[in-house]
Amino acid sequence: MLKTTLAGLRAHKLRLILTSLAITLGVGFISGTFVLTDTIQAGFTQSFTAAADKVDVAVIPAKDEKRSQEGPLTVPMELLDRVKGVEGVAAAVGVGRERTALIGKDGKVVGSMVTTWGVPVVEGELNRTEIVTGRAPKAGNEAVLDESTAKTRGFTVGETITVLDVRQQKHRFTLVGLFKLGVDQELSHGGAVGYTSETFQRMAQPTGFREIDVLAKDGVSAETLRAAVAAAVGAKGEAITGQTLMEKMADGNGVEIDFITYGLLLFGAVAMLVAGLVIYNTFNILVAQRTREMALLRCIGSTRSQVFRSILLESAVVGLLASVAGLLLGLGLGAAAIQVINATGSPMPAGTVTLTVTSTAAGLLTGLVVTVVAALLPARAATGVAPIAALRTQVEENAFRSGVLRWVFTGLFLILGVGVTVAGITMPPGAGGLFTVAGGGVLVFFAVLIIGPVLVKPLSRLTGFLPAYLFGVPGRLAVDNSTRNPKRSATTTIALTIGVTLMTLISVVSASVQASSDARLDRQYPVDYVLMAIGDREATIPRSVAETLRTKPEFGTVVAFREHTRPVTTDNNSFVSVGTIVGPIKTIAQEGWTGDPGPDQAILSLGTAGKLGVKAGDTMEIKTRSGRMEKVTVSGTYDREKMPGSDVLLQESTFHRYYGATEDIRVVVKMTDGAAPEAARKVVESVIADLPTVQVSSTTEIRGEFNDSINNVLMVMAGLLGLAVLISLLGIANTLSLSVHERTRESALLRALGLTRPQLRVMLSLEAFVLGLIGALIGVVLGLVFGWAAVQTMQDKPIFQAAPLHIAAFIVLSGLAGVLASLLPARRAARASIVNSLASG
Amino acid sequence: MTLTDIHREAPPAVVARSLTKVYGQGDAAVHALRGVDVAFTTGAFTAIMGPSGSGKSTLMHCLAGLDTVTSGSVHIGDTVVTGLSDKELTMLRRDRIGFIFQAFNLLPTLSAEQNIRLPLDIAGRQADPALFDRVVDTVGLRDRLSHKPAELSGGQQQRVAVARALIGRPQVIFADEPTGNLDSRSGAEVLSFLRTSVRELQQTIVMVTHDPVAASYADRVVFLRDGLLVSDVHQPTPQIIHDTLMKLES
Repeated sequence: MLKTTLAGLRAHKLRLILTSLAITLGVGFISGTFVLTDTIQAGFTQSFTAAADKVDVAVIPAKDEKRSQEGPLTVPMELLDRVKGVEGVAAAVGVGRERTALIGKDGKVVGSMVTTWGVPVVEGELNRTEIVTGRAPKAGNEAVLDESTAKTRGFTVGETITVLDVRQQKHRFTLVGLFKLGVDQELSHGGAVGYTSETFQRMAQPTGFREIDVLAKDGVSAETLRAAVAAAVGAKGEAITGQTLMEKMADGNGVEIDFITYGLLLFGAVAMLVAGLVIYNTFNILVAQRTREMALLRCIGSTRSQVFRSILLESAVVGLLASVAGLLLGLGLGAAAIQVINATGSPMPAGTVTLTVTSTAAGLLTGLVVTVVAALLPARAATGVAPIAALRTQVEENAFRSGVLRWVFTGLFLILGVGVTVAGITMPPGAGGLFTVAGGGVLVFFAVLIIGPVLVKPLSRLTGFLPAYLFGVPGRLAVDNSTRNPKRSATTTIALTIGVTLMTLISVVSASVQASSDARLDRQYPVDYVLMAIGDREATIPRSVAETLRTKPEFGTVVAFREHTRPVTTDNNSFVSVGTIVGPIKTIAQEGWTGDPGPDQAILSLGTAGKLGVKAGDTMEIKTRSGRMEKVTVSGTYDREKMPGSDVLLQESTFHRYYGATEDIRVVVKMTDGAAPEAARKVVESVIADLPTVQVSSTTEIRGEFNDSINNVLMVMAGLLGLAVLISLLGIANTLSLSVHERTRESALLRALGLTRPQLRVMLSLEAFVLGLIGALIGVVLGLVFGWAAVQTMQDKPIFQAAPLHIAAFIVLSGLAGVLASLLPARRAARASIVNSLASG
Repeated sequence: MTLTDIHREAPPAVVARSLTKVYGQGDAAVHALRGVDVAFTTGAFTAIMGPSGSGKSTLMHCLAGLDTVTSGSVHIGDTVVTGLSDKELTMLRRDRIGFIFQAFNLLPTLSAEQNIRLPLDIAGRQADPALFDRVVDTVGLRDRLSHKPAELSGGQQQRVAVARALIGRPQVIFADEPTGNLDSRSGAEVLSFLRTSVRELQQTIVMVTHDPVAASYADRVVFLRDGLLVSDVHQPTPQIIHDTLMKLES
């Protein structure tokens, strides 16, 4: 039997290739994911190990729940001297990190949300900064820049750069080198400027270190030294070995990699599911086609189980070959992805392409298991072939009747699915509801899968109406042919449905999120321009900006927001932000603003009031700058959805009394009616021209940026789902070519009766078109329904919006994709000789 | 003057001159037709007979424009078939030729009536309602028109095929073993319809068969052996046909 199976496989190479391609693509995607993440992981490990070799012991900030709320924890600076004095320490350096803003060539600080970091480049063995161009800074007027920022901002070695110190004073440095950011995620986010240790102290004026790195004397073990250092620092810091430090860093990065891995694997799983459906269908058709061959085997004495095993063996061979091909494809895909990542200057450390044994096995096994499992049912069907079938001349049409059981199961899954979905919708907004809805979606999908063969006929009538009308006989025949084997058509189209459903869902969800955010921005910012200070909490806008803007005739409303730079402790030990609003807030806060606070009164955001458990009329205490607890009366609440602001808003004079006359953190501006936007913008820009940290954006820009980022996500998701769609197209091509094979004589008859070659091709293309449309139609309906359900779980007052253009495009493209899939089989059918085809079979 | 004499005077519907057909090349070459000259009279029912491998099916395929010839020419009416493009051949088959095959004559997805009208539908032509009624009544399918082929007996299926061939009033109908798959009663029925259509509708029919009884329904039988026309019998009886065949095979 083994020989027969293998000979059969060799005899049908083309069929083998078509079948394999679906699995190859799926496995390729999955192993590509593994290659990518394995390589990144290896890069991280390499970098961490390199760093761990340099540091023997590190002192990191002691854990402190309360202080961590106020900002990043630090190691007190005085500990450095104490550590240096510990027996066995060869060297110790304090490593700090503060925001020192690099000013770009446009005169504004680099970065849109955060500025660049400032770091010291230490000398000696403990230096972990890797200079790639030029050299390390040696003098106080020298600095280095990370290569990625240098690249994107167009700075080269030898140029002069301007950097703001923590007090926002400008300093000029000669750029003497570029360095690698390495694996530090925090530094990667924003980029960094490196100085000599002394210059760093001057620029950043740190109040503590992020970390003290210690080098042991020869012959002193890391663990011994750690114990000694721990004794010296006591409770003010935590001493760990270099190894532990690197493990901690690796953990932090590992989470991100896991996130990428699982995200990509999810798409891989969808692709494999679709591939499984395609394989299932292919083997079903193969078994049907080889009825006579198998009956002959049974006639000459093969047992049922031998037939079963032969089919399974065939699937195993196909699965294995396809998986190996997929693995190679995955290596290529992964390598390409790494190239792209490197080219975009992303901080992922990617060296040589790596694929671990586990990942290889996982990829191969997935492909093999999916193929064999998909072939199980067809193989079982093959055992039902009676030996007498060998003697029949004509293959019977695969009649299909919808049995009671089918309806019962459909009903069961449908009721369950709808129930779960409704439960998900009624849950409070959040991830729980979303996952519940997803579960409901899967159940409903099963219902559709079961009832699919029943749906195919009416749907083909619906989608085939126009083709049948437009294309005459070929059109009508195509519509009829599309439902000749409802089970086969259903499986073929459902494979496409999966991709279309998910694409529609994502389109609906993103359109809805966009609509909701637009609506919120409309409510929140009925203003024209927003001025913000870029940088850390200390970044502010001088009050003069708002004052100058108020004198300009272009602007009717100028509102300034101020906020204490540190979180404020309340009487029940919570932390809140406290601020004030200066200007006619009422004119921009349309609704939900109950009135300005009076002296010693506070207005709370709804969320804060809930967290603190207070309501209007209650009193609460807040800690002032001088450390005293002061009592304020809650006079009202406001909705932060509708107006951005601090947790606690005080009257201007009260705020100044408690927290000092701070600068503004945000200024919003509304134009007077009739002012020209271009002129108004120029006025704003001239006012802030000398303030590099202040950036202006129009609300249209804010909206545009947000929409851009949503669209980017949509594009990436669509691209990833494209794979599933591609595989389902292979399925359509496969089904169609096998159908063409089955109907060789029929096609020949039509050609003899006067159907031209183009007409025959059109007929087959239309059949695929109809199949594509059916798949898309089901997918769009499912996607709309579950997109709606998903949106319900996301917000309190969700806005549901579908992008009709997207959806129309999905449907049309699915139809056209079907046509594309039909081209080769149709070509083959049209070329066949009439005489030979009539004689075949 | 006999009927045969009238036919001899009418212009031929199909003419083949020095027809040869070679499959393959070199040593493997098979000479299926070695130079056949034959004319099929308009309004006559002609049978082509011969032992297996004599080239009778090849001759029919070449005459009907289903297969290309190696040399020689085929005329249908005043059209030279040999040398037409695939599209022109398709149009010729669609508009001027009817076909009845041994099996798989019908499209399983279409009803009997749709199958009958199929060639006209492909051409975008309307069936002459009077002719449609007449043909349907002739083959006795009135009450079976809405049935799918799977719901019809083998004889009924072949009658549908006959009706389909007749409905377009083609210049010639080619029938390839039309009764090969039928029991003798159904076969006799189908052959009677063919003969009736020749008598009543002046339809030209060329039929390939190896069955002497079937051939005896024809006005004339031509015999092929090894790719050559070897005998031509008018007004045949089963006995004459049988004897001729025995002689050819010996």
